[in-house]
Amino acid sequence: MNITIDVKDINSTVEVQVKGEIDAYTAPKLRESLFPLSEQANVSMVVDLTEVSYMDSTGLGVFVGLFKSVRAHNGEFKLIGLSERLRRLFDITGLADIIDIKSHAEGGLE
Amino acid sequence: MEVQSCVKIINEWDIVAARQLGRNVAKDLGFGTVDQARVTTAISELARNIYLYAGQGTVAIEKVQRNGKAGMKIIAVDEGPGIKDIRKVMEDGYTTSGGLGAGLPGVKRLMDEFDIDSTPGKGTKILATKWLR
Amino acid sequence: MEFKDNLEGKYREALSSFLKDQTEQALYQGQKISRKTMENRVSPEEIISMHKSILMEVCPGDPQKILDSFDFLMEVMMGYGIAYREHQSLRHQQQELKSEIELAANVQHTLLETKIPDVKVMDIGAISVPARQMSGDYYHFVQDENQNIGVAIADVIGKGIPAALCMSMIKYAMDSLPENRHAPSSVLESLNRVVEQNVDPSMFITMFYGLYNPDSHVFSYAAAGHEPGFYYEASTDTMSDLDAKGLLLGVEKKTRYRQYEKQVEPGDMIILLSDGVTECRTSEGFIERETLMQFIRNNLHLGAQEIVNNIFKQLEKMQHFELRDDFTLIILKRDV
Repeated sequence: MNITIDVKDINSTVEVQVKGEIDAYTAPKLRESLFPLSEQANVSMVVDLTEVSYMDSTGLGVFVGLFKSVRAHNGEFKLIGLSERLRRLFDITGLADIIDIKSHAEGGLE
Repeated sequence: MEVQSCVKIINEWDIVAARQLGRNVAKDLGFGTVDQARVTTAISELARNIYLYAGQGTVAIEKVQRNGKAGMKIIAVDEGPGIKDIRKVMEDGYTTSGGLGAGLPGVKRLMDEFDIDSTPGKGTKILATKWLR
Repeated sequence: MEFKDNLEGKYREALSSFLKDQTEQALYQGQKISRKTMENRVSPEEIISMHKSILMEVCPGDPQKILDSFDFLMEVMMGYGIAYREHQSLRHQQQELKSEIELAANVQHTLLETKIPDVKVMDIGAISVPARQMSGDYYHFVQDENQNIGVAIADVIGKGIPAALCMSMIKYAMDSLPENRHAPSSVLESLNRVVEQNVDPSMFITMFYGLYNPDSHVFSYAAAGHEPGFYYEASTDTMSDLDAKGLLLGVEKKTRYRQYEKQVEPGDMIILLSDGVTECRTSEGFIERETLMQFIRNNLHLGAQEIVNNIFKQLEKMQHFELRDDFTLIILKRDV
């Protein structure tokens, strides 16, 4: 059960690639590495979840927190590369209506 | 050989000098090898804390007597940044896991008596005593 | 591997130096090795074995040196000795924490206790099992003065103690709702405001609230990001998702919730669950909703409480008795 988080932060454009599992054990690490970045003014944050094999609701909490923080700093927040299962999680929770998400099929980071 | 009773801790080699001083006193008092090693480890930890966190300070060793019992007291003093939350540094599981050494709870366990005084911005004074059994 | 080779070299060097003239300096090196080996999780028995083989190499058959070498070994072991005693004290502390949590779990249990209403028209079954000691799931039944049955099922995102604390708050918010405001959409709207204001921004709650009118047999309901339940229609013998859309509680202050209605016929069943039921992971991956529906189907002939008990048992077994998430399942069955 591990996670790797790759971050590219150039002029408030933050590209993040997450690999592995997001659960109660790895979520704090994810929050710690991304939260400070979400607090930049007009930040544009894109998180690629293509290689996330598992995510439970704790991960959802992290992304909602990030989304709210980015929005509070007039930024843009986007999740891409969602698997069908993740997509469903965002649909059920109603988050798909407020967060910009793109599934696996709709392309990832270049 | 003349026994120095106080070692100034400035660089890492002074830690060895403090250990040597402690070992000589312990041997002299008749501590067994295990207790010698315990006292020396305690001195080593205290001296190392001074070297790492305070920059400089002193470690003194005193022979002490109480109720007919003999023992030795380590007095480690520095004028470093001090410790804000003593309770926290005295908590178990704080330092050993990362290979940071025994930490203060370890020193406390190695010795029979332990006392710490610290003022943030002023420095720290630690007294630790081991009695001859 | 590289560390081990490196370690042997350092050990050989320090031990040889100590055997040569027993300096404090060499012992200090020993203490430093102790620190390094602990950092790299080298076990004490590995050190003894290394000590032995290096000793045979440096001084074959010199009894005095062999004896001296134990002083060095003792120095290296000192760190382990301290860690061992610390471990004992930590274990004791853990015991204390454990019994404290057990106590808290009992308090929570009493706090969240709910009675399944005993009504003529319906057979109701419910089961809720926490993954750890304290649950982040919550279910509750209320009956108002018109005999309407309210059923709430909620799940705090997150597990363990933080989730449990949060759940207690929801329980009190529910209790303090005005008597006349039990329409599902307005219940969710009020609770959303409470959660939004009082809970940590990365903590959210999913909830389903339903109200059953025993006279008209209309079940009205609304959901806030909650895992959809199922509906079993007896007349056609079919099972479908009990879909209801709505945002999680605590994300946006002014969220409106849509209210849905369903006419419940004799023999029909409403199945409500928390995501611990569908997020149950077996060796073959997640359990599919279809599989779950099949389980329910296989138990249709039983009473509501027996059905939920059986399904829990079956899923628990499939996960090799290791729950990853809190598990709550409720079944409301209109009597024939």
